[in-house]
Amino acid sequence: MSPLLRNNVRVTGSGMRTIVFGHGFGCDLNAWADVAPAFETEARVVLFDHVGAGLSDLSAYDALKYGHLEGYAQDVIEIASALVLQDAVFVGHSVSAMIGMLAAIKAPGLFGAMVMVCPSPRYVDDFPYVGGFSRADIDDLLEVLDANFLDWSRATTPAIMGNAERPELARALGDSFCRTDPTIAKAFARVTFLSDVRASLPLLDLPTLILQTQADMVAPIEVGEYMHVTLPSSELVLMEATGHCPHMSAPGETIATIKRFLAN
Amino acid sequence: MPSTNEADPSALPEETLDELYEHAPCGYLTTTVSGTIVRANATFLEWLGRTRDGVIGQRVQALLTAGARIFYETHCAQVLRRDGLVRQAALDLSRADGSKLPALIEWRPMRNAEEVLIGLRVLVVDATDRRSYERELIAERERAQATAEALRELNETLEHRVEERTRELHDTKDFARLALQSVGGVGVWTYDVASDRFVCDDNIAELYALESGRGAKGFSSAEFLQNLHPDDDLSLRKTMSGGLVNPGDLEQEYRIRHADGSVRWVLSRGHTYFEDGKPIRRTGVGVDMTQQRLLEEQFRQAQKMEAVGQLTGGLAHDFNNLLAGISGALEMMETRISQGRLADVDRYMVAAKGASRRAAALTHRLLAFSRRQTLDPKPTNVNRLVASMQDLIQRTVGPAVLIEVVGASALWSVLVDPPQLENALLNLCINGRDAMPNGGRITIETANKWVDARAARQHDMPEGQYLSLCVTDTGVGMSAELISRVFEPFFTTKPLGEGTGLGLSMIYGFARQSGGQVRVYSEVGQGTTVCIYLPRHHGDALEDEGEVVLPVLPRAKESKTVLVVDDEPTVRMLLTDILDDLGCTSIEAADSMAGLKILQSNVPIDLLVTDVGLPGGMNGRQMADAARVTRTALKVMFITGYAENAAIGNGHLEPGMAVLTKPFAVDTMVARIRSMMEI
Repeated sequence: MSPLLRNNVRVTGSGMRTIVFGHGFGCDLNAWADVAPAFETEARVVLFDHVGAGLSDLSAYDALKYGHLEGYAQDVIEIASALVLQDAVFVGHSVSAMIGMLAAIKAPGLFGAMVMVCPSPRYVDDFPYVGGFSRADIDDLLEVLDANFLDWSRATTPAIMGNAERPELARALGDSFCRTDPTIAKAFARVTFLSDVRASLPLLDLPTLILQTQADMVAPIEVGEYMHVTLPSSELVLMEATGHCPHMSAPGETIATIKRFLAN
Repeated sequence: MPSTNEADPSALPEETLDELYEHAPCGYLTTTVSGTIVRANATFLEWLGRTRDGVIGQRVQALLTAGARIFYETHCAQVLRRDGLVRQAALDLSRADGSKLPALIEWRPMRNAEEVLIGLRVLVVDATDRRSYERELIAERERAQATAEALRELNETLEHRVEERTRELHDTKDFARLALQSVGGVGVWTYDVASDRFVCDDNIAELYALESGRGAKGFSSAEFLQNLHPDDDLSLRKTMSGGLVNPGDLEQEYRIRHADGSVRWVLSRGHTYFEDGKPIRRTGVGVDMTQQRLLEEQFRQAQKMEAVGQLTGGLAHDFNNLLAGISGALEMMETRISQGRLADVDRYMVAAKGASRRAAALTHRLLAFSRRQTLDPKPTNVNRLVASMQDLIQRTVGPAVLIEVVGASALWSVLVDPPQLENALLNLCINGRDAMPNGGRITIETANKWVDARAARQHDMPEGQYLSLCVTDTGVGMSAELISRVFEPFFTTKPLGEGTGLGLSMIYGFARQSGGQVRVYSEVGQGTTVCIYLPRHHGDALEDEGEVVLPVLPRAKESKTVLVVDDEPTVRMLLTDILDDLGCTSIEAADSMAGLKILQSNVPIDLLVTDVGLPGGMNGRQMADAARVTRTALKVMFITGYAENAAIGNGHLEPGMAVLTKPFAVDTMVARIRSMMEI
């Protein structure tokens, strides 16, 4: 199956440059709904769903392949290759920032610059490294996932109900807002939150922008600083936005910061 | 003590909103859009064990456990920000004492007149029970799924197995049919025990040289096996009668003689069917193995030819040297005699005799290698043999090598051909010396060894009692790869021209022929040990015969009579001369017929000396056996070339019999005759 169909790839906008947006754990390509359109006038914009999320082909899920971030990185390489990308910009949120990094290292030439939104190379503390979580916390998360995904409808209800009260949003986002397959979501959570790609950081030889927010409960400031120190040519920007999803909570600031980086 | 009164219901005061808010069975929170708590009810505070001051001003997500916080950030935060609405998120709250409160949390938006989101109402339900039910439910569902999966797999496997088995059954029949039709020289037979009849197909009839076309009617077992080679008769009978007692498959290979004189090898495989413990029927196949046996024989022959070719190259040099020694000495003798210098002739004679003896020894060693040598095993005291060799060994290896002998006390006796063992020992010591170019120590050690079942398997020899003769050097040692090759004929580590590579392989041949084994232990840089294992002989070793070197033969105390049978007149002449010198009376016969006539007469005969290959219808062994019917204690000495060893018992002789290999030295013959006749 074509990676473009498998990963529900959407290409909009036009321009000399191509920007690929990768969504993080718990969401799908709609996460970029407030950010991606701002680049459509100056670049080709590529959005995609990771397998298991949004409108991706769930039948393509292979527990072995997606048991490591490399499996997801392989998909990114295949998408980029199918679109014949060269020196494109990869904007990845959270775990997607790491997935994009692995892809860029493995297939040099596809990407020319990276934007990492609230990334973390490792979530579990590993003294003296601070990731922000203990192993027990991750088990706790998996339990919470179980409780929320017990019934498919409960996990998706909030979004849909919310849309029902604001029909204009429902139209804009479609029915798939942050829809994930529960079984895959749990596996993805395990892969994401138990991953450790610190060893790959020094191998990324691309200009990289790291976006760090205030009070990020998932990727604390220590992680951002660690990334900045370890990535060979990186720029760390501490945003005014709070929380783990500045592209949704503060799209304006996110767009401006990325544009400023791309201008250089 | 205050009393309770059942008052007028209408007199009860109405609930205040405050009461309802504070003590509702759920938690209530009011937060700003970003989640900062501005109001919390008593129930919520009570559940979390927290004070109002400790909660107001905090963000809701700060009160979540770490895992729940990740879920909130990744799944709830953006929806709340956008819509202000999340229903029944299962999240864990963190109590003041660190414990967890499983909860269901619901957020509803507060909007102003302009529909702008200005804050959130949060409803918290204690979900402890519900969550535990859910966990059970999840576990149960997983179990059910696993069971269903296992069941499905089992079904599939079963179906698959049944299918496979059915196919196998069909296949087996077809395989058998196709194989039998397509391969010549394979046939089938069935033997009915009650009627003692074999029924067979045409292939079998042809293979067993039976009347064709009669196979379906059947043959009696005697008819069926009428052309069996007589040498295979006994072993086949054993196998067949055994097969009628024991269930299971039988397999035997035997020969069938055909009318045209050819011999066919048949591999017969059969299975006996029993009913109520009684053999009823046996069914089997016969496979013509003749072609394979012929090919194998050709292959062996080719290998032998190759060996002969290599030997020619390796030994021509040695033989030429010896021949040069002999012919040179003869020429010199001729010269000296013509010069009349008779006193000088003697030393050339000694030289020529030495060279011919060495040439004979070389032939002997070669024959031992080719395993066609006739061994003359005797009960031997190995300690004594080693001691008698020590001086010779020391001279051979030179002064740079120290020879150490460690002989076990109460060493068992072995049944071996002593000269061969001496030869082996000398060869091992020479190898040891060559492994120590700068000198060193050679230890010769004898020991009694019990070889148990495990060691027997390991050493490839039958379990039992053995004597070991080990030669250890302190030399360069060998790698495992080298050890694995040292018994190969012509394998040598010595430079070209210095060794024939026959030493160890000949020792190996000798040891195997004596019922023993040879093992090599070595480590690079640590030296090498070669051990010859020989089976224990129950009985005392013979005393040394002693070398007879006297040129004048001592005469026998009383005249003994020796019958000499040989078709070669010069041999008879030589033997009668020797016997005459020993004071014995000799009778001559030129063939087996004449010899047997004398043996069956009442002429007293103390010893029979006979060639093995004889004209007259019998070989020497058969003649001796026939004589022993009446002369039970007749002593016999065979003189033989290498080819007839099978005729005299494959290297093993009965008591009172001895063998001497041609060419023999006169003094050896004398010593042997003396020892046999005890003169």
